[in-house]
Amino acid sequence: MYLLKRAAIFVGAIFVGVNLINYFVLGHTGDYLPGGERMGEWKAAKIREACSPALEHPERDGQLPRLSTDRHRVDWRDLTRAVEMTAALNCYLVTHPNAICERNNRAYIVDYINRYFAKFDEMLDIAKQYGEAEISTVKNLWDSPRNRAINAALMRDISSRRLIKADFGWTTPVAMKSMLGQYNGTTDNCPRA
Amino acid sequence: MGGVFSLIRAPAIAFFGGFLVVGGWIWAPQISSLLPDFSSGVSSAGSGGSWFADANRLGRPETAPVVRSCIFRVLDLGREARKLEPSAAYFILKAGSMQASVSTLVGKSDKWFDNHTTFLASKWGELANCIYAQDDRELCDPDNRAAMVEATTKFFAFAKQAQAYKPPISASDARVIENISDRLVNALKNHRRYGTLLAADFGSFAPPEIMRVMREETQTRDICKR
Repeated sequence: MYLLKRAAIFVGAIFVGVNLINYFVLGHTGDYLPGGERMGEWKAAKIREACSPALEHPERDGQLPRLSTDRHRVDWRDLTRAVEMTAALNCYLVTHPNAICERNNRAYIVDYINRYFAKFDEMLDIAKQYGEAEISTVKNLWDSPRNRAINAALMRDISSRRLIKADFGWTTPVAMKSMLGQYNGTTDNCPRA
Repeated sequence: MGGVFSLIRAPAIAFFGGFLVVGGWIWAPQISSLLPDFSSGVSSAGSGGSWFADANRLGRPETAPVVRSCIFRVLDLGREARKLEPSAAYFILKAGSMQASVSTLVGKSDKWFDNHTTFLASKWGELANCIYAQDDRELCDPDNRAAMVEATTKFFAFAKQAQAYKPPISASDARVIENISDRLVNALKNHRRYGTLLAADFGSFAPPEIMRVMREETQTRDICKR
């Protein structure tokens, strides 16, 4: 019995450890999204490859996020990530509006939406340490025409049930909670094959 | 079964030990601040503060305004530099430093690396000098203070490495490093007196030149207090 207990703890620790590494170190947060009929395998999403050209030269796109001032405390890695994430999500939701209807793509896009809002929150939290001017610099950065197009696309997808609260499970971004709460039901307006 | 446990015992102990060391290092400032008697006991030993810097004293050096003003005076990155964020240029300097440090750790030393170390010492030194040349109160900003601490520490570390090379570095290079070193020691003394710098800001493994200044000088006022 004693050995069995120890073995159970051992196996449990390995299970927890592997999942913690997968989530926090490898960043495979998509593995922990709800499954079911609507959500497929994020790794098999074709939209990721289809949108890779959109990430090749983001500096050529004048509508992507840009800093409005030289006097800021934004790290270049955060800036680059904000630009990349906006370019990618813009492609997933705006350039390919029907991509979210496919199960695998939906899983990948939902995970990406979580990352997108998490990055915004992270940058805003850093900005709060520096006061109002920095907060507005970060908010302006995330308010480019592409970001606004993403917000509009999200509203559209939520109102048409292409995205529902259940798709996000326990990871729903705070910014989307109220939007998702307004619409119920699971019947979407995706084109049927 | 016993064999399996004995097999995992060593990695488990290693993991736990590593967690204690890393966790201790990360959380020590908070723990230290929870123990006022312990902190004051240590400061009375003459280090000028607790063993660990207050978490709010040091910010993010790469986004420091003084780095924005100084980095392109130190690093000549050509015409492309205009498009580059100052924090990215700072990162380039840091990345070059890591390469040199790793080369030293693995025992690789040839003429290129010797020159590279001297180059890095002079670049970090110039950056530190430029930061010290700003208004003294600039160093009350945690990001600026962090940039200054990092630049100064790195300068002395690379200067020591460069001076230890055999065959020795050229006399002109040695003189350049010595000049920067003298200027930095003077600036450190001033900032120690002004209260903009504490021994704890430099951590436990600071170069001896810095620790000496921190030990020998005393704070006469606090220019950061309004």
